[in-house]
Amino acid sequence: MHIMEGFLPATWAVVWWLVALPCLAWGIIQLKRLIETDREALPLLGVTGGFIFILSALKLPSVTGSCSHPTGTGLSTVCFGPWITSVVCAVVLLFQSLFLAHGGLSTMGANTVSMGVVGPLVGYGIYRALKNTKVNMFITVFLVCAFADLFTYVTTSLQLALAYPAEVGGVFSSFTVFLGIFAVTQIPLAIIEGVILALVFKYIVQLKPEILVRLGVFPEARVMAAHRGFANAA
Amino acid sequence: MFEEILEDIAQRNSLREVNTSLKLAVGLGGLVLCLVSTGYVAPLFIALALIAALVLLARIDAYTVAELFVAPAIFAATGVIVIVLTSGGVDPFWVWQPLSWLSLSVTPESIDRGFLVFCRTLGGMASLIFIALTTPMTDLFGVMRQCRLPAVLVELVMIIYQTIFLLLDHLVLIYRAQLMRLGYSSPGEWIRSFSTLAGAGFIGAWNAGEDLIRAREMRCYDGKLVILGEVRPVAARPLLTATGFLALSAALVVLTRSITVFPTVP
Repeated sequence: MHIMEGFLPATWAVVWWLVALPCLAWGIIQLKRLIETDREALPLLGVTGGFIFILSALKLPSVTGSCSHPTGTGLSTVCFGPWITSVVCAVVLLFQSLFLAHGGLSTMGANTVSMGVVGPLVGYGIYRALKNTKVNMFITVFLVCAFADLFTYVTTSLQLALAYPAEVGGVFSSFTVFLGIFAVTQIPLAIIEGVILALVFKYIVQLKPEILVRLGVFPEARVMAAHRGFANAA
Repeated sequence: MFEEILEDIAQRNSLREVNTSLKLAVGLGGLVLCLVSTGYVAPLFIALALIAALVLLARIDAYTVAELFVAPAIFAATGVIVIVLTSGGVDPFWVWQPLSWLSLSVTPESIDRGFLVFCRTLGGMASLIFIALTTPMTDLFGVMRQCRLPAVLVELVMIIYQTIFLLLDHLVLIYRAQLMRLGYSSPGEWIRSFSTLAGAGFIGAWNAGEDLIRAREMRCYDGKLVILGEVRPVAARPLLTATGFLALSAALVVLTRSITVFPTVP
């Protein structure tokens, strides 16, 4: 998914930075509020960032000047919302470019918009729609993670299509080609990511339900009922 | 893949003691010049010059540098195929129109455009790898503070940086234990083992992160970890080399802006 350094023309690199910056500014304001009110959220912020770093470093090549990999942003979206997730993603993208030469600095704006803004916003929409319904918590987390991942790739395809429109059919034609190529690897990856992160969420419910209650991720009664269910089964 | 990350190499490269801002100026300057270049000569020169600097000046193993370029070069080459096939142009060598809204062709213009994107990507990646291999993240924390980035952001950067290593430690230990117990032996087992790895690693790193922050708070940590950044003066020789490189690259961007693979392409 990460667009490589130098792959986007300068104009588009600047445009995507301009789109990303207000989102990051709002995310930093929210992050400041969160840390001022609950410093115990810091370790979880760190570990969700570390988790995004590891998961999104597991890359498979894709025929698009980019690559396919899980994004891991769903879990952070559920715990902290989309704007703080955008800041966490930007930090992770910086580390990935400097630690693993994955992504880039000029393309970091575009990558932040796709992986840190659009994907988490779609995931957050699903989370808000299902949070207070009877849909199982783990299915909700699965859907949030899978769709956050998928829409990250839809956005990357659009970014590449806008930068390199086809002569015949323009942006739409180019978008279809990029999206079609990504879909081969990304649809199965999104499903696997959803399953894995739902299982990780299960571990958190089993071992540390109190943090989910404190952050208001799901209603206390549901989290504690699931926690008791796991304890009884064990 | 995580046995040795670029940070480990950056900590022991021979340009470690060169002024951080000077190294960033070379890397970021190269990157910007690649982006604004409309000809392929300048990005290619930047890529070659920075690779030579990594091997000859930073004394980083040539094999390691080459290995770092393999994946980006493959991604760039395959990505360029899409650009070449969809860009279009006049006097095509080959045309195929499978759908009314989709036409694939290879033309002198599309080859030229694809080659420029390929060279720009190589130059950009070389600039990025130059920064990554010569400047450790710990040096960049000082630069972030100098740039007056919000304190809360710098704190998050430091926390995530530390947690990555905590998480990697946990994951490596759990992964080895799983392999010894025949984890990942079938597709179903793979999913089960991987999610256990992710879940247990997540909780383990979280606990370790809590311990770390608690220990710091007992020592009056309030979100601002004081780092005594090393002062490295700008020496004359590195300054001249960096200025020469950037001036030559900028001159090439201007002088070779109209050079194309096919002379007929405007």
